[in-house]
Amino acid sequence: MKTIISLLTLFLFGSPVLAQDAAPAGFWSDPLNDPLLPFYLVIAFVFVVALLVVIVAIYMLQVLNVFIRKAEEEKAVQAGKVYVPEPGAWTKFWNWINGYRPIEKESEILLDHNYDGIKELDNHLPPWWTWLFYGTIAWGAVYLVVYHITDSLPLMDEEYQHEVSIAQEQKAKLLASQPALAIDENNLVYEQDDQIIKNGRQVYVVNCASCHMPDGQGNIGPNLTDDYWLHGGSVTDIYKVIKNGVQEKGMIPWGPVLSPQQIRDVTFYIKSIKGSNPPNPKAPQGELYKEEVVPSTSEGASM
Amino acid sequence: MELDKFSYDNKIVKAFIIATVIFGLVGMLVGLTIALQLVWPVFNFEFQYTTFGRIRPLHTNAVIFAFVGNAMFAGVYYSMQRLLKTRMFSDTLSWIHFWGWQLIILSAAITLPLGITTSKEYAELEWPIDIAITLIWVVFGWNMIGTILNRREKHMYVAIWFYIATFVTVAVLHLVNSFEMPVSLFKSYSWYAGVQDALVQWWYGHNAVAFFLTTPYLGMMYYFLPKAANRPVYSYRLSIIHFWSLIFIYIWAGPHHLLYSTLPDWAQSLGTVFSIMLIAPSWGGMLNGLMTLRGAWDRVREDVVLKFMVVAVTAYGMATLEGPLLSLKNVNAIAHFTDWIVAHVHIGGLGWNGFLIFGMLYWLVPRMWNTKIWSNKLANFHFWIGTLGIIFYALPMYISGVTQSLMWKEFNPEGFLVYKNFLETTVQILPMHMLRAFGGFLYLTGAIVMTYNLVKTAYAGSFIANEATEAAPLVKTESSGGGWHHWLESKPVLFSALALVAILIGGIVEMVPTFLIKSNVPTISSVKPYTPLELHGRDIYIREGCVSCHSQLVRPFRSEVERYDPLGGEYSKSGEYVYDHPFLWGSKRTGPDLHRLGGKYSDSWHYNHMLAPDAVSSGTIMPAYPWLFEQVIDKTTTAKKIKALRTIGVPYEEDYESRANDDLDMQARRMAENLQLEGIEVEPDAEIIALIAYLQRLGKDIKASRSAENNLTTGNQ
Repeated sequence: MKTIISLLTLFLFGSPVLAQDAAPAGFWSDPLNDPLLPFYLVIAFVFVVALLVVIVAIYMLQVLNVFIRKAEEEKAVQAGKVYVPEPGAWTKFWNWINGYRPIEKESEILLDHNYDGIKELDNHLPPWWTWLFYGTIAWGAVYLVVYHITDSLPLMDEEYQHEVSIAQEQKAKLLASQPALAIDENNLVYEQDDQIIKNGRQVYVVNCASCHMPDGQGNIGPNLTDDYWLHGGSVTDIYKVIKNGVQEKGMIPWGPVLSPQQIRDVTFYIKSIKGSNPPNPKAPQGELYKEEVVPSTSEGASM
Repeated sequence: MELDKFSYDNKIVKAFIIATVIFGLVGMLVGLTIALQLVWPVFNFEFQYTTFGRIRPLHTNAVIFAFVGNAMFAGVYYSMQRLLKTRMFSDTLSWIHFWGWQLIILSAAITLPLGITTSKEYAELEWPIDIAITLIWVVFGWNMIGTILNRREKHMYVAIWFYIATFVTVAVLHLVNSFEMPVSLFKSYSWYAGVQDALVQWWYGHNAVAFFLTTPYLGMMYYFLPKAANRPVYSYRLSIIHFWSLIFIYIWAGPHHLLYSTLPDWAQSLGTVFSIMLIAPSWGGMLNGLMTLRGAWDRVREDVVLKFMVVAVTAYGMATLEGPLLSLKNVNAIAHFTDWIVAHVHIGGLGWNGFLIFGMLYWLVPRMWNTKIWSNKLANFHFWIGTLGIIFYALPMYISGVTQSLMWKEFNPEGFLVYKNFLETTVQILPMHMLRAFGGFLYLTGAIVMTYNLVKTAYAGSFIANEATEAAPLVKTESSGGGWHHWLESKPVLFSALALVAILIGGIVEMVPTFLIKSNVPTISSVKPYTPLELHGRDIYIREGCVSCHSQLVRPFRSEVERYDPLGGEYSKSGEYVYDHPFLWGSKRTGPDLHRLGGKYSDSWHYNHMLAPDAVSSGTIMPAYPWLFEQVIDKTTTAKKIKALRTIGVPYEEDYESRANDDLDMQARRMAENLQLEGIEVEPDAEIIALIAYLQRLGKDIKASRSAENNLTTGNQ
């Protein structure tokens, strides 16, 4: 069912945005008592009337046209000529932009080519096509000039540097406006916060479960639920390992990938699953870690 | 004047038609299989010869060279005889051509599943087959030119111009792109490396589309459409202008496959500019087709042949507008590497080529068997289910392409990627892949119905093997006026020479500077040749077709650098690829880019992942590769590989081939020992070791150059 809904939304919006949660209480929550109801009704009425007027007007015009045509036809018959109706505006435009000749006059431009019965007309090029061709050539010339002669537009490296510098500015601004986000290993104290742990679990499932398995029992990476740690078991140690990685052991440095908050969340989550005894645990690795009360502060700022 | 009596050879056309239908069904069936694999990998039947990487090229080769190729020869052999009022030059050559081509297809069908591939898209076949293709192509050209010279029609009709351009250009493309250094009968290395290889390959790849899928089909459109509609061709002038501009401009557009790659900027810009200029020449063909139907549109409603042709020509117009738009840098930044491109090529393949072929077959078979179509109802059913198939194929792919691309690029306000794990974006689009497979199923169903209908038609009629006809012999006369081009149409050799010049210019302007001017490929001193073990690993990577799903090109976008090189913060540079024979940039990211994969994960991660991807990345559609754990590295070829690569410019020391296997053993043993520490028992000569060694090498050299720089700066402090 979820698949079908996401599928439908995809069709409608073409992007992974799922339908928004509850819409804000507005007109549709109680339309009959809304103070603006009369206003909307008037607008709707005017709109419908205007539409009807337009439809009737078009219809009248057509009827009028039929009468005019009839009269023209009679005149033509009296004069002994075959009546040819005047083409409509769209047809005229279409014929003009394509450079069409009347199909009856086709024989005038029929070439004397005959290839296995295939003949060829010598129609001139459709004018809009010729303009399109000239237009694209001019566009091409301008493109080369602005990118390579006047250097007015950025080539790919410049474009990239620009993109990165904008991102850095935005990030700096955001950090300045929200100093609370400045989380790092030095000010970390574990707290049993359900929301943080829940967020941490989400980060864990997407990024960590591949090596440490969904329940933290370990596989490619070590078991995270036992009392043994390769690089220390305090929140600070765990945070640092996640942030900086252990390249020689294949632990990815997540600092550039996860936000400090996400690293904190997943650290707390890992702390929270200690002793959960999942099935098929990996054998303990590293040293037995006992919770210390004093947080380690001697580490210098790394990176 | 006495009329010559002679006959048209329909038997050869019949043979090509049968081959078209058979290989069409096979190619589409393989296509459907790989479409299903992209949702449920078990559709590879856990058999190495049917994994995605091996049979994706089987699908592309089957539909392009076997289905579209055979149909092209059927159409050319039928129309050329009649347009030139002569039998084919030599029946013997015709049959050598036919059987030679089918043997090439057969050899492709055998070698590709075996993993014998050059990995260059649409040029995967190994060098002995390349030579066979060259020979058969010469036979085709010889037969064609002989027929033209024997003609009883003084002037060549526009269809013939397109056939000439096809023959000349495909010959040039195939020869230049297939330059390779043989290692053994079934293995070679591309003569070119890295960015140069990429340029040659996409000059070829793009123009294979242009001159194998487009120009011959335009020629066929110019014959079969006016025939079926019984109307004169709309504009002779338009034919002239769009023919010459099309072949001249098309050849320049290849670099649009390499936008935001490490190809020099100027070459990329040429690709963009010429792609945009290609809109009008391409549309000239569509207009001349559609406007030929002016005054016959009422018949389109009733005649299934015309219906197929109208949709084909319209699809051609749509695809040739979309292509140039995709060549704009900002559109390309979104669409490249995604399913959008897959949708684009299938509008061309299913719509233009497929439907034109179907229209042609429904017109040809009743005529050649002197009867009527067995069931118009079934043909109409085929038309509608085919159209529906195209829609069900293309729309989901557009949605999936844009969705995935936007997910790749989405940052949160803190400046981190929202979808850090590539897999999240894959899982999101799987419903679209299901719909696409359904579209393919509909299209294949239509083709099966057609086969039944055509077979019934043939049984209802009686085949005319040699269609008797008569025509006046060609007498030498002075030009009868009609302008210089009309005169040129009576000079086939000059015409071919001019076409050759027109298609050479673009390629020369783009390729020669990229090869000769050093600054176009800045070198990086820390980039070193692969070790023998890594080299074997790379060849396994090529054999398994990893390049079908994984790119090796981090484009200069913040989102890609953040995703693929978050530590180094560097996009791919041309200097990194100088020893890559062939280049492995790929053209589609079904899985993540791998260019900076080295060192990201541990060896044991790779080991487990290749053995059972789903156990490591739950929900992945990557297949397992258990055979890599049983098969052993073929060390007998090491020396030959090293020698071959040295010949084409990789600086292995003199006589290194004699020591290469020692180095290989040492590196492999070390890796096996390290894996043992992680509790994994593996033989050091298992293929998986070589593959992991290669994967761990990717991006290592540029990282080394960075740490060297860092040491230098800290040393100075």
